[in-house]
Amino acid sequence: MTNAPWLELKGIQRHFGSIKALRGVDIKINRGEVLGLVGENGAGKSTLMKIMSGFDNSFTGDVFVDGSLVELGSPNKAQALGIAIAQQELSLIPTLSVAENIFLGGNHGPTIASLSTLSNLARPFLDEVGLNDIDPKMRVHRLSVGESHLVEVARLVAHKPQLLILDEPTAALSETDSERILNMVNRLKENGKSVIYVSHRLDEIFKIADRVTVLRDGASQATKLASELDVPNLVTLMLGRELSDMFPPKNLDRQGTSAFKISDLWPDGLLSPISFSVNKGEILGLAGQLGSGAGEILAAIAGSHPVRGGLITDMSSGQSFLPKSSKIAISHGIAYCSPDRKHDGLFLGRPISENLTSPNLKRISLKGILNTSKSDSLSADIAESFTIDPSRLPHEASVLSGGNQQKVALGKWLSINPGLILVDEPTRGVDVGARAEIYQKLVELAESGVSIIVASTDLLEISELPSRVLTFYKGALTSELEGSKVNTDNILKEITKPESFLQLAGDAS
Amino acid sequence: MSAAADSKRSASFRQSTALAILKQNGLNIFLAIIALVFIGFAITTHNYLTLFNIKTIVRDAALVGIMGIGLTFVTLSGNFFLLSMKETAALCIITFATSMSHDYGFIISLVGALAVAMVSGGLQGLLIGRGGNPIVVTLGAAGILYGIASWWSDNLVISFRRPNDAEWLGTGSVMGIPNITITFIVIAILAELVLRKTSFGRQVYLIGANRAAGKATGHENRSMAIKVCMIASVCCAIVAVAFSAQMSSAQANYFSSEFGSSGDFTILVIATVMVAGNSIMGGYGSTLRTSLGAVFISAVDNMMVLQGYNSGPRVLSVGLMIVFSILVFAYIRRDNRSEG
Repeated sequence: MTNAPWLELKGIQRHFGSIKALRGVDIKINRGEVLGLVGENGAGKSTLMKIMSGFDNSFTGDVFVDGSLVELGSPNKAQALGIAIAQQELSLIPTLSVAENIFLGGNHGPTIASLSTLSNLARPFLDEVGLNDIDPKMRVHRLSVGESHLVEVARLVAHKPQLLILDEPTAALSETDSERILNMVNRLKENGKSVIYVSHRLDEIFKIADRVTVLRDGASQATKLASELDVPNLVTLMLGRELSDMFPPKNLDRQGTSAFKISDLWPDGLLSPISFSVNKGEILGLAGQLGSGAGEILAAIAGSHPVRGGLITDMSSGQSFLPKSSKIAISHGIAYCSPDRKHDGLFLGRPISENLTSPNLKRISLKGILNTSKSDSLSADIAESFTIDPSRLPHEASVLSGGNQQKVALGKWLSINPGLILVDEPTRGVDVGARAEIYQKLVELAESGVSIIVASTDLLEISELPSRVLTFYKGALTSELEGSKVNTDNILKEITKPESFLQLAGDAS
Repeated sequence: MSAAADSKRSASFRQSTALAILKQNGLNIFLAIIALVFIGFAITTHNYLTLFNIKTIVRDAALVGIMGIGLTFVTLSGNFFLLSMKETAALCIITFATSMSHDYGFIISLVGALAVAMVSGGLQGLLIGRGGNPIVVTLGAAGILYGIASWWSDNLVISFRRPNDAEWLGTGSVMGIPNITITFIVIAILAELVLRKTSFGRQVYLIGANRAAGKATGHENRSMAIKVCMIASVCCAIVAVAFSAQMSSAQANYFSSEFGSSGDFTILVIATVMVAGNSIMGGYGSTLRTSLGAVFISAVDNMMVLQGYNSGPRVLSVGLMIVFSILVFAYIRRDNRSEG
C-alpha cells in the first residue's frame, strides 16, 4: 500500500441543477508533496475544495485514502481522516489570545487549562508554521494580517492533519508576508505532510509546488511536474488557449502634456508631503507593500482618505482643489477604484446595469427623471467595452465571479468620462483571463488620453504595466523609476530597502 | 406499507414543489396569501366579503399604509427605522387641531403640521446622516416630540367645530370611495414612481445596498438621511391631518396603543414595512410591497374583529405576521441568491 497515493479522487462529478460544476476530476496527492491547484475563477476549485474537506457530500465519484475507499461525508469525518482546510477568510477571534484560538473548538486541547499551560501546548504548532517569535499569550488583533494567516494554519496543524488545503493564503498579503507562508509550506512538507496549494499567483506555484493540477471548466487537465512547466505553458493549460502576452506593450515615449499635478499632498499615514504629476495618456505606477502609503495617496486624491494638506491641479482647466469627498473628486473627473471592491466598489445586491451607471445618474436622467433608453445604452456600452456578458446586465452583481466583478467595479467609472483613473490593486482576486482583459483595457484608456495611476503590491503587474513607477517604503517615497529602469529587481529593492536595514544594523554594531 | 411510503413520498414531493413555487416570486406568493385569506374567511366569516367591508379594510389600511410608505424610504436607504413615527404624528395632530380650533382654516393648519414634520424629520435625519444610531436618535426624538405634544395640549382633547373645511378629507368620498382611501392610493402610486423612475429613487436603493460604495460614487447618506426622514415625517403629518379631520379633534395619545385598539401605531407601521418582505438592511424592496402589507394586515385585523377577538389576540397576530414574514422572505431571498 505504500505505493498508493495518500489521497486519490477519481471521476468526481458535481451538478447544481442543470449546471455541471465538476465534470470528472481526478486528483492524486502523495505523502510529503505540495500539489499546486490552479484554474480560472469558475473552473471548479472551490467546489472541489468543499468536497475534499467534507462540506459538500452531494457528489459522485470515489475517494481513496491510503488506497482504500472512504466516505468523506462531513467536515468532522474529513478531519478525522486527516484533511484540514484553511479558508481565505480568517476565522480567528481577535479578542482572544493566539494560544486560545489554536485550541478553540474541537477536542484537541485540554478541557480546563491556564493560559500559560495552553501557551506551552501551542508552542510546537506555532514553531511548525514559523511563528517562533510570537508570544502565544498575545491577543490576535495585535498580529499582522500575514501572522494571522499563519496562526490560522497553526490551528489546523494542531489537529495533526496529513493533508492541508490552503485556499489562496497569500491573496491579501504583502510580498514579505507571502514569503513566510511559502516557507511554512516548505516546512510542513519537510515534516511529511501533504499540501494542496491553491493560488492565482503563478510565481508562487512555481516556487513551492512539486506537481501542478490544472482545472478547466470543471474537469482536471493533465497533472504535470512543476519543473516541466513554465508560466506561458501553465496559462495556456488554464485558459485552453494561448495567451501570447498578458501585458500589452508599454508606451515608453512620454510625449503627453501634464494632465494632473499633485502638489504637497500629505495623506495621513505618509511621513512627509509628496508632489508629482501625471501626463495625459500615461500609466503611472505607485509600488509599495502594505503600509507603504501608496494606496493612501490614491485614496487621498480621490477624497476618501484624510489629508493634512495639499493641492491637486487639473492642468486642462487650470483649477486647483483638494477633494474633501468622493463627490468633489468625481465632479473633477477623478475616478477611484479601491482595493476592496466588495466594501465600496460594488452594490452587490443591485443589478449590474445599476452598478455600471451609478457614478453618473445625471447622464441617464433628465431633470431627475430616469431615462430607461439612456441608461440601457450606457450600461450596454460599458459592458461591451469591458467584455461583460450583456445578457447578465439585469442580474445582481453578486452572481458574478471575482474577475467580472472587478470589471464592473472599474467599468462603472467610464460613465463619468474620467480624466484621471486611480486603481488600487487592479487585479486582486482576479483570474488570469480577466487580468489580461483589465490590463488591455487600462492601456486602451491611456491611449485614448486618460491619465491612469495604478498602485499595486503585485511585483509583476507594477513592473509590466506602467511606464513610470514611484516606489514607497513605510510611508516615504524612495525613488522614481522610468523607462528601462522599471523592472522587478529595481522595484523590489526600492520597496523593501534592504540597504536601509543593513545600514541600521551597521550603526547598531 | 407501500401505500404509506407512497403517500409519504408524494407528501415530500408536494412539499418540494411548494418550495419551488415559493422560490420563484416572493411578491406573487404574497398576493396569493392575501387571496387565500380573503377566500378562506369570506366563507367562514359573516359579513366579511361585502363591498362595504372591503372598502372598510382598505380605508383602515390607509392611515397605517401612508406612514408605512414614508418609513419604507428610510428602510430602503439603509437607515433602519424611525421609532418616532407615532410621536411625530402626535405633535402634528396637536399642531393641526390647535390651528383649526383657532379658525386658521385647513390650508394654514395643514402647512403648520407639515412644517413641524419637516423640521423634526430633518433634524433627526441630520443626526442620523452624521453617524448617529437611528434607533437611539429616533427614540430620543420620540420622547421629545411626544413631550412637547402632551405639554402643549395639557394632554386634553382639542376639538374644533363642525362644519369645517377639513371635513372633506376626514369623512368625504368620491363615488363612494373615501377620500382617505384615495389619498392612500395616490401616495402609494406616487411613491412607487419616485422610487423606480427618478434618480433620487435610484440613490435610495444604491445607498441602501452599500453605503460605502454609495459614498465612493458620490451618493452620500449625509444628505439622503435628511431627505428620507423628512419624507417619513411628512407622511406622519398627512396621516395626523386626515385622522384629525375625521375626528374633528386631536389628543396626543391618538396614535398610542391605549387609543388604537389594534396596537401601537409605530409597531403597526413597522409591521407593514416588514410583512411584505422589504429588506431590513436596505437596498431591496418597494413601497408597493408596503402598501400591500398594510392592506394585508388590515384584512387580517378586520377578520379578527368580525370573529369577535379583542385587542390582545389582534396585537399578537400582528407580531406573528412580522416574525413569520421575516423568516419566509429571508428564505426566499437566500435561495434566489444561491441560484445565481
